[in-house]
Amino acid sequence: MQKKILEFTNILRKSGIRVSPAESIDAFAALDDLSVEDREIFQDALRATMVKRGEEVPTFDELFDLFWSGFYDNLRDSFAQATGELGEMGVDFETLVQQIVEMLNGMEGDFGDLSELARALLTSDLSQLENLIRQAAEGAGADRIENFLQVGFFSRRTLEGMGLEDAREELGGLADALEQAGMSPEQIAALRKLIEGLMEAARRSVRAFTERELQQQNHDYMEKFRRETLLEKSFYHLSEEEIRKMREVVERLAQRIKNILSIKKRRLKRGKLDLRQTLRRNMSRGGIPFELIFKRRKKDRPKLVILTDVSSSVANVSRFMLQFVYSLQEAFTKIRAFVFVSELGEVTPIFQEKDISEAIEDALEGGTVINVYTRSNFGHAFHHFWQNYLSAIDNKTTVLILGDARNNYNDPRAWCLREIHHKAKNVVWLNPENPSAWGFGDSVMDKYLPYTDVAEECRNLRQLSKLVDSLLL
Amino acid sequence: MFENVAHVLEELGKQDYICDKKIGTVVFLAQQLEKPVLVEGPAGVGKTELAKVVAAATGRRLIRLQCYEGLDEAKALYEWEYSKQLLYTQILKERFSQAMSGAKTLREAAERVAQEDSVFFSDHFIVPRPLLEAITSPDPVLLLIDEVDKADPEFEAFLLEVLSDFQVTVPELGTIEATQRPLVFLTSNNAREMSDALKRRCLHLFIDYPTEADERRILELKVPGAAEGLVSDVVGMMQRLRDLDLKKLPSISETLDWARALLALNARELDEDLVNQTFNVILKYEGDVRKAQGELDKLLQKQAIREGAPVPAPGAPQKPASASKKGALH
Ligand SMILES: Nc1ncnc2c1ncn2[C@@H]1O[C@H](COP(=O)(O)OP(=O)(O)OP(=O)(O)O)[C@@H](O)[C@H]1O
Ligand SMILES: [Mg+2]
Repeated sequence: MQKKILEFTNILRKSGIRVSPAESIDAFAALDDLSVEDREIFQDALRATMVKRGEEVPTFDELFDLFWSGFYDNLRDSFAQATGELGEMGVDFETLVQQIVEMLNGMEGDFGDLSELARALLTSDLSQLENLIRQAAEGAGADRIENFLQVGFFSRRTLEGMGLEDAREELGGLADALEQAGMSPEQIAALRKLIEGLMEAARRSVRAFTERELQQQNHDYMEKFRRETLLEKSFYHLSEEEIRKMREVVERLAQRIKNILSIKKRRLKRGKLDLRQTLRRNMSRGGIPFELIFKRRKKDRPKLVILTDVSSSVANVSRFMLQFVYSLQEAFTKIRAFVFVSELGEVTPIFQEKDISEAIEDALEGGTVINVYTRSNFGHAFHHFWQNYLSAIDNKTTVLILGDARNNYNDPRAWCLREIHHKAKNVVWLNPENPSAWGFGDSVMDKYLPYTDVAEECRNLRQLSKLVDSLLL
Repeated sequence: MFENVAHVLEELGKQDYICDKKIGTVVFLAQQLEKPVLVEGPAGVGKTELAKVVAAATGRRLIRLQCYEGLDEAKALYEWEYSKQLLYTQILKERFSQAMSGAKTLREAAERVAQEDSVFFSDHFIVPRPLLEAITSPDPVLLLIDEVDKADPEFEAFLLEVLSDFQVTVPELGTIEATQRPLVFLTSNNAREMSDALKRRCLHLFIDYPTEADERRILELKVPGAAEGLVSDVVGMMQRLRDLDLKKLPSISETLDWARALLALNARELDEDLVNQTFNVILKYEGDVRKAQGELDKLLQKQAIREGAPVPAPGAPQKPASASKKGALH
């Protein structure tokens, strides 16, 4: 059982559910205390000990079915069919086996001389069969299966490994011996038919096992592939489904940063005694310091002002930038967010009132805040910001600008950005275009570049997360 | 002590808590493995209540640590009762001068005072907060760390240390170890995801909105006077409301509030007017109320069909699978 659980743990890991060794030990311990007979409780126990994220539960349940229930059911059906066929011949399986055992007792040979497999087959001992198939499949390396063309190959190797042909000969020999010992012709015919049926059932089960193995492996590959490529995939080419998946990935990246930040912060604790404040507060008690006042450690959490271009050319980058920043809200003292195309509008309140995905849709949708169906005009947007919101910036503020700087040949008004840069702690510009394109065509990135402290290409999630990392850590 | 999962369900049932095997299994394991349980799920599905009834069912004293932004170690673990210490120094001035009399130098005097230090940093002057109370309690307790997601990440890191080995170090007193491990329940609404390190140390339980059958049983238990027709209508309506795309889905607490309100109005079943009048009991946002009113026909019509239809008896129609997804974490 432990081995099976470890195997299952590996499959979970390959599918991206991080099960730590401590957690698999918990799972073992849990099963010591529970009866494994009740599948539901068994599944609940494994889930509670190994899966700690809501969004991983469906994957777990799917793999659980694949691993624990599916195969056994399959096995049962195959063998039920083989033994059921006897019924058509008017022979009862149980009685037949009983008679065989009795006859063997009268002869010198005995049931124990048969190989494990032959015995398990003849008695339809399903859990023993399951074990033998698993062992043989492992020996055959079936967990390395990659595509369905290999199903035949690995099934054959598994069958060879478990010695099905030998078992067939053994059982054939047994039938011969029983025939000579005087078993009735009808019963011998039934026995021979049963043997054929069992062979077929074994073959079918092994094939089913290999197919399941393939499904499991594919599940792993698909998951891994999806996640890897999502990180690299350009924001310009995302399907609806990918956008949904991407949100989870962003959430995970943000959580990572939060964990690192919290560990860092724990090192800074209460500050020193504030002597002056303490004396002042305790004047009335004759200067005896009944109440102590401590200096607060200053938290140097950055203030953040984000300006995001939400024109359709960069809408996806903006979406994840906003999600990223807002998932990290507590890492900043204050965040103010603005969106622009040509008009510029503040979206901070939307983020305070709505849940994140709704807020982002709102910020990106037209009408509510600004008109998004115009052509990008960075100059106009910066000017508007300079006129109305410059006071939002002080020397602790990081200004994060996100846009492709494609200005449709309008006036870039770079001086506005210069003023912003002058007041801010720093200005970071993320551009989804490759630097080699900056300044060409209607790109005015080169005009803005002198007033940024950092300007980087940000075309996919990996780049985005690296940038946010360096901003905070 | 629970003997097995079935026993858990039975005992919690006696405390008027309706739950399924999944919850029972985790509670049983928490006891057997002596591991904390992290309970997650939408608001009002009975996370806090679960901890309370487990305490009651096991005869453990409930110690509750309510988390909030800014909660720190001092408020959770212990504080020195500084003013009491100071008061004592004032009262004991005499004794001090005695101790110091004969000291030749200032340094010697200071050293003598220092020797008395331990008097002032002893259990006598310590104010235990919930965590220390749970660790030092001589009788078995259940520690409920409620809404842990509201606490700052720094506090979570601190909790982690306490939960790993149930011992704390008070510099002046040394290390204090739990005389017996408390059962620990942590609840979270997922305002913020908990760190992996914390999750690894806990068993994980996700409580979702109840099935129609369970919700009906809860209603019958907690609002005994409600007419059968009303119970069916309310439960059916709630289940369908959770299929809508609302900002805040109504939970069990809303179901109970609503049923009580309707009962107070002497309602025996739901109709359009009644629903419109009382929507604000279950839906907390203006936008949600509008959305639901837009769908009111469908919400009520379905019900009419169900009532008119010959086959499904009350209790038979099961919640569609999609409803449970709604509660999933996003
Ligand atoms: N399974 C249940 N059986 C009986 N009563 C229940 C059940 N679940 C919830 N309740 C009732 O619902 C109400 C809300 O439960 P509780 O306060 O525990 O929710 P919660 O999940 O802790 O919510 P929050 O996240 O808002 O803290 C309580 O009055 C409780 O009695
Ligand atoms: Mg609660």
